[in-house]
Amino acid sequence: MKLLKRFSKSQLLGFLSFLILWEAVHLLLRTHTVPSPWETIVYSISRIDKLALHSLASLLRILTGIGISMVIGIPIGIYLGVSQKFGYLFSPFLYFIYPIPKIAFLPVFMLLFGLGDTSKVILIIWIIIFQIIISVRDGIAQIPKIQYKVMDSFQASAFQKYRFLIIPAILPHIFTGLRISIGISLASLFFAENYATVYGIGYYIISAWTKMNYVEMFSGIMTIGILGVILYQILDEIELKVAPWNK
Amino acid sequence: MSNAEDSFIRLDDVTFSYREKIILNKVSLKLKKGDSYAVIGKSGVGKSTLLHLIAGFLKPNAGSIYIDQQEIKSVRKNTAFLFQELGLFPWQKVVQAVGMPLHLNKAGKASEIQNRVLSLLKELDLEHLKNKYPRELSGGEQQRVALARILITNPDLILMDEPTSSLDAMTKEQIQQLILKYQQKLKATMLFITHDIEEAVYLGKHILLLKPGGTFQVIENSFYSVPRAREQLGYYEQCIEIRKLLMDGETI
Repeated sequence: MKLLKRFSKSQLLGFLSFLILWEAVHLLLRTHTVPSPWETIVYSISRIDKLALHSLASLLRILTGIGISMVIGIPIGIYLGVSQKFGYLFSPFLYFIYPIPKIAFLPVFMLLFGLGDTSKVILIIWIIIFQIIISVRDGIAQIPKIQYKVMDSFQASAFQKYRFLIIPAILPHIFTGLRISIGISLASLFFAENYATVYGIGYYIISAWTKMNYVEMFSGIMTIGILGVILYQILDEIELKVAPWNK
Repeated sequence: MSNAEDSFIRLDDVTFSYREKIILNKVSLKLKKGDSYAVIGKSGVGKSTLLHLIAGFLKPNAGSIYIDQQEIKSVRKNTAFLFQELGLFPWQKVVQAVGMPLHLNKAGKASEIQNRVLSLLKELDLEHLKNKYPRELSGGEQQRVALARILITNPDLILMDEPTSSLDAMTKEQIQQLILKYQQKLKATMLFITHDIEEAVYLGKHILLLKPGGTFQVIENSFYSVPRAREQLGYYEQCIEIRKLLMDGETI
């Protein structure tokens, strides 16, 4: 049972179930558009250097996007959580902008920031920053009032309230926000990397698609999945170190 | 400004209302230094409000509160407050939780703080739990940690809002003994709210019976003696007496 639990927790099970589903669809449809997983894996291994290069380019864009989003999003989220006035002013904008598909702004970013990496990273930031802001703001809203009272009873300064209460309280929420953000940013690569670049896993998939090389296309799709697994695993490890009480 | 006198806490005509409802009306009260006061009374008579006013969390609408000759305008340094909900932080291990007040007060180097914390944890039999998070502790252990967190600062005034209400009978008695021990050790003035008449009689030298509208009656606890035990003659008689006063002629 324990072994089963550990196995079900492992990423391997996720990958295996994906492969089984994929194989089933491949056998059912019997079309070259859905190649067999085995054929794709063999193809991927033979192109591992190429895939690694494209993955690295995508990873750099994602990590830059996430890093900048955190630097900007966390302070905004905190301010939104602690300042009622700012909350009243900014929340309606946030609720309006949050459900809009951010990809729709791509032409604007291309116009403003050119076709290079800047517009791609800004698109990623634009997609995930609101998730981070909302996660942090909600994290602050969930801090029980009694915990502020405890800090007041010890005459804590404003800085000490951030250091001992607010920052630790929002850490698990930041990780939740990051988990969602990683998923969305990986998905957004498909759009962000479909112009003016020859590197990136999004570009790799689109290029294979236009060449109608479906084995190559699926090897790109599989690689995005593996990238996600690696990123989530890294995030889990960091969370265990930074916010161990949450596990 | 207050005149010099022997009372440690003094309330002068304190009135407090909330949403146009008068909770305390011109309450005047003198509490002696080093004594323990059990605050009892029915729900909604203003027991918590009284404690929060003395703590400095609330400000009276009229009147003044003095502690140690100083008028209370905000939270005072040597006042410790034990909340009913405890308010332990999920991210703080026991050792961090107990050390936090000293870090907040910049009460010394990290190593000195660590030593003080470890010594108190040892006294409270919490040393083996020092690296545990609150979720890993039982209700009684959490209560002891919250108690340690207020005792570490050596307060001269301890305010407690129903300190044992959520505990089972045996753990409750253990915590009561601990409270008694440290109140006497620190020679601290103590005010605690309780709904438990036995607890009031066991821990309170004086029993402050609060009535609607903020009137009150101070009852000297005839059972009070040091050291004490529940088996002592007079304990249950005193409980019955207080119960009668609390019911004030009403039938249950």
